[in-house]
Amino acid sequence: MSAPILVCEGLSRSFGGVKAVAGVSLALPAGQVTALVGPNGAGKTTVFNLITGNLRADAGSAMLRGRSIMGLAPHKVARMGVARSFQDLRLFTHMSVRDNIRTATETSAWFWQPGGATARRAREAATEEALARTGLLELAEARAIDLAYAERKFLSMARILAARAEIWLLDEPASGLDLASRLRFGALLKEARRQGVAICLIEHNLDVVTELADRIAFLDQGQVLAEGEPEAILKDPKLAAIYFGDRGEAA
Amino acid sequence: MIAYLTNLAALAAIFGILAATLNVAVGYAGIFSVAHAVFFGLGAYAGAQIALVLVPDALVAMLVAGLVSGVLSLCLALPALRVRGEYFVAASLGLQMMATTLFSEWKTVTGGIGGLTGIPRPHIFGVEVGTLPLALAALGLILLATAALMRGAFGRTLRSIRDAESAAEALGKNVAAAKALAVAFACAGAGVAGALFALHMQFVNVESFNLDQSVLIMAMVIIGGTGTLLGPLVGAVILLSLPAGLAFLPFIPATEVGAVQQMVYGLAMTLLMIFRPAGLVGDLSRGKSTA
Repeated sequence: MSAPILVCEGLSRSFGGVKAVAGVSLALPAGQVTALVGPNGAGKTTVFNLITGNLRADAGSAMLRGRSIMGLAPHKVARMGVARSFQDLRLFTHMSVRDNIRTATETSAWFWQPGGATARRAREAATEEALARTGLLELAEARAIDLAYAERKFLSMARILAARAEIWLLDEPASGLDLASRLRFGALLKEARRQGVAICLIEHNLDVVTELADRIAFLDQGQVLAEGEPEAILKDPKLAAIYFGDRGEAA
Repeated sequence: MIAYLTNLAALAAIFGILAATLNVAVGYAGIFSVAHAVFFGLGAYAGAQIALVLVPDALVAMLVAGLVSGVLSLCLALPALRVRGEYFVAASLGLQMMATTLFSEWKTVTGGIGGLTGIPRPHIFGVEVGTLPLALAALGLILLATAALMRGAFGRTLRSIRDAESAAEALGKNVAAAKALAVAFACAGAGVAGALFALHMQFVNVESFNLDQSVLIMAMVIIGGTGTLLGPLVGAVILLSLPAGLAFLPFIPATEVGAVQQMVYGLAMTLLMIFRPAGLVGDLSRGKSTA
């Protein structure tokens, strides 16, 4: 296993009296898929929000290649190479598919992008590559809002691909996908893993987890109860009881 | 009659600039400001003072007015843009109310309620020029700049922020900076329109820069079509021609034109929001979506 790119230690965050995340430690190595599994309300999305700077942690640290990213604004964390998807996708609904992806390659907020023609060609190449890899080439000029559900999910992945991030935080990327789309998604993820992307995904579909995850971190009530190989975690009767028990239902 | 039409055309071009620039904030970046008349006013006073005190050169007046409005909008936008959506509307409303008071009280600069009179006709390099060609040229340049910016990366950044701010942030976009730039661009344009207005009317007072004016400009953008290049222009021409058109109808007494005009505006806005929520020029499917 290679050295982790992102290391979180003791991440904690409370909302009022509720401890949403209580001392979560997590390491994401390059070329590995880590699945965050747990019942609803376990704190999985909150962990993502703490890493990306959308929420401030009460305690704990997050180091990206040895540099702390705690307290940084979300756009700065993103520019350092952490990309994320959202459960509700948050596409740029009134923009074309190609513009959705293109804008993921443009990070300067200024009137123009730096780097001149060479950088522009590289951005265009990244856009076209993301379109091709997600199978969206034929829909490139369609507006995001007019896409079918599965294609919207792939557009959300295409934006991440085009952003050329080394860490992907994916929030339920395969939920609601039919079998064919799920296989396409699996292939996309495996290719990224081969290219050395450190992937962390929140997923309720245990078939997807079994197929794609190298490791599982099982979260409950804001804490990592267990971490390890998928088989060991998923066969643990205690964890299964929590996952399928009356406190939370698999969505 | 020709003088009347030339005057109307010059005003249409000036309000075209106002609507087109407000549209950059509202239509592309999703920033709903009801304080555009403040920056129109700042530009008008700055332009008027340049012409009165320094030199009646239209280019200098427009440049200074654009700078004053653009820079001041930045000072105000940076804190105000930290609040989201509907809260920004309230913040801009507060700014509009403060500015109206300031414009009527700061007599040394604005002339108070009485305003500034005797503003010289516009000149360029010492030669007197009409405001219509000036305003048309400025409108053309601003539309060109807007089209270029909105077609490029900056336009995509603004539209991505409008559609899903948190996702834009997650892709590395500095949302506050992009919004502040959009506001500065829009307000600098309003400043240029202000200078043109002062030189055209040769008189300015606070009446032209109050909340009613801001609402009128917003109505031009919404009726014409937000997020389109030509929509705001269409809105400006329609809303400016409406009072003139109503005045020509023999069955409306001259004293009632104002009231009828308000009712027509209101009815038009309501019908438009029901049948064409994206405005006259806007994309039909927009506004009906849930996003």
